[in-house]
Amino acid sequence: MGHVIVVDLGFGDAGKGTVVDHLCRAGAAEVVVRFNGGAQAAHNVVAPDGRHHTFAQFGSGTFTPGVRTHLSRFVLIDPLALAAEADHLRALGVPDALDRLTVDGEALLTTPYHRAANRARESARGAARHGSCGMGIGETASYALAHDDAPRAADCLSPARLRRRLAAVRDWYRDAFPGGEDVPGADACAEAFTAFAERVRIVGAGHLHALLRAGNVVFEGAQGVLLDEWHGFHPYTTWSTTTSANAETLLAEAGASAARLGVLRAYATRHGPGPFVTEDPALTADLPDPHNGTGRWQGAFRVGHLDAVALRYALEVTGGVDGLAVTHLDVAGARPDLRVCHSYEMDGERVGRLEAGPPDLDRQAALTRRLLAARPVYTPLGDPVATIEDALGAPVVLRSHGPTSSDKRADHFRTTIDLSVR
Amino acid sequence: MGSGNWSTDVYAARASYRASTGASAFAYSDGGATAVHPDLDPRGVTVRESRDSADHPESLAIGVLFDVTGSMGTVPRTLQAKLPDLLGLLLRKGYVEHPHILFGAVGDATCDRAPLQVGQFEADNRMDDDLGKILLEGGGGGQMRESYELAMYFMARHTAIDCFDKRGKRGYLFMIGDELAYPKAKRREIARFVGGEPDEDVPIAELVRELQRRYDVYFIIPEGAYHSGNREVKDFWQELLGQNVLYLDDLDAVCETIALTIGLAEDAIDLGEGLGHLAEAGSDAGASVSRALARLDAARAPVAVSSTPPGLDAAGPSATTRL
Repeated sequence: MGHVIVVDLGFGDAGKGTVVDHLCRAGAAEVVVRFNGGAQAAHNVVAPDGRHHTFAQFGSGTFTPGVRTHLSRFVLIDPLALAAEADHLRALGVPDALDRLTVDGEALLTTPYHRAANRARESARGAARHGSCGMGIGETASYALAHDDAPRAADCLSPARLRRRLAAVRDWYRDAFPGGEDVPGADACAEAFTAFAERVRIVGAGHLHALLRAGNVVFEGAQGVLLDEWHGFHPYTTWSTTTSANAETLLAEAGASAARLGVLRAYATRHGPGPFVTEDPALTADLPDPHNGTGRWQGAFRVGHLDAVALRYALEVTGGVDGLAVTHLDVAGARPDLRVCHSYEMDGERVGRLEAGPPDLDRQAALTRRLLAARPVYTPLGDPVATIEDALGAPVVLRSHGPTSSDKRADHFRTTIDLSVR
Repeated sequence: MGSGNWSTDVYAARASYRASTGASAFAYSDGGATAVHPDLDPRGVTVRESRDSADHPESLAIGVLFDVTGSMGTVPRTLQAKLPDLLGLLLRKGYVEHPHILFGAVGDATCDRAPLQVGQFEADNRMDDDLGKILLEGGGGGQMRESYELAMYFMARHTAIDCFDKRGKRGYLFMIGDELAYPKAKRREIARFVGGEPDEDVPIAELVRELQRRYDVYFIIPEGAYHSGNREVKDFWQELLGQNVLYLDDLDAVCETIALTIGLAEDAIDLGEGLGHLAEAGSDAGASVSRALARLDAARAPVAVSSTPPGLDAAGPSATTRL
């Protein structure tokens, strides 16, 4: 099969986890590489025997014995949440997840101080909150931009430096949010982070190059392209490059390449606030997501109809895909009232394409304002696979009809990438 | 767009990591095994091979054999933890394009359960699996000797390496320990632990000569180890290997030392560049590696004029030490 990049073409929650799980289970990949986001990722995988895990920092292929996870330098590492996730995996009968994990030493660390700052800032926004997960991801990224000594994974190997850098983050948090929640001391944090480094292998960039030479790698994106820090609908975005760009960078450094697989549901979802042109409260009521409730920090899970305008925009900003994976086809089959939106009524005209361009948050904010007032123009969904292929001009190579890997059907005869099992 | 599913409690995390530390890095050994893992058992092995392939057209064989008895405690675990760094450094910085690494462990044939364990030459993370299967002997005899001669016998007569066989380019053999070898590889022990039986015992000096035809052979003595300050140990190995005995004051730097030694020998770097690469990779090993390799680096200049052209030294012991 070769290497594959898996990106979500919507606002997240399309089913990247189940697609990655399928690729690993089918033997099409031995290593999962994460290339954006951090511990706030929530990729739900249900094993055929019913075990369920929400993958955050471990690759969604971890249920398959021997499949490794590598967290690249673009991932924000949360050693505390990682321990809890490993504990849950252990409880599910996966005792060696930490043994199969490697972390790039350059990766930034998310600390309890970043998380507390995130919550303090989001609380201050009141009703205008951005839909943050409250995990400190954005604070980790922004702190690193302003501070050269932001803690990174490799610092955990140098106790004195680690302690110094953690104390600096703690002081910064205390100064910026004097009324913020209580946080643990730098010593306690340093102890836990040191324990992390004693347990998890921290590696250089060469490790990924060796992995890419040794076998097939699947790059698992987090969040969705429509939440991209530069191309999403500002300010309702995540502080992360959610397109395939980071994965392409890592591949280029290693002299390798990969096929690009875009994942979407047969309908649209959005978790949290922000523009959602095809939102349908009736669908929200009828199609609750078993793994996505209303979050304390994130807000409600919202459901709507397939949005070809937004999907085409996502394809454009991520640079296209070689194939599509469509999930929740079982739901689509049971809902003949599902529709597809090919254009918006926006600013008094009919718009089928959203303008994309180089990073410009003012332009994105203006686009957000227009989208908040846009109205969808619908036609019946019909056969979702045919409709999606026609609307997006890319072949559907993997169809998912249920939560587990056994509900997936590879369709490799008409496609440029072969997702068939070995 | 995601969630915060997992606990972020600092004390719970520390307890969790500590509780699981070391539990499975050496799963085989830690699981209570008392015999050599079948995959690493040298008995009856004709040859361990490092072969060129489509993926690795110019393979380079690198053997790493280390003492697994008590006095060397943490070396195997350190090696396993830092293995990806070793491979990464070699590849990323272009010291070697296609390394094939073999791991082996050395004990004492007179009293140990596992006097010799030898994995395969591997080009990828399967070498990791080999490390995980190593039986950590612990304990160790009081005679300040380990059966390195048996390991050298195996490497000399039971390995086939394309880098040399096809291209006349020597591989690398690193041994890591803090004790003497026995003066001869005894025919009875060879029969028992390797298989086949030579007509007579093989003196260690002869094994070194055989080995040095096909491998650059190094012995690393970690200064922190129990016997390492011992003059007799230093003299013993220095007499056999000359300046290819390295004294390392920080066990944690063993992977970096191996990588830079190869980089120097391959003429890919000078010591300054190599130390720069370590710093770049976030390694703190630079100072220790620098001290260990300072002498090698000083001796590096003559390499270009003294090394024997490939193929010409195949007929007998090399007249010059390559480094």
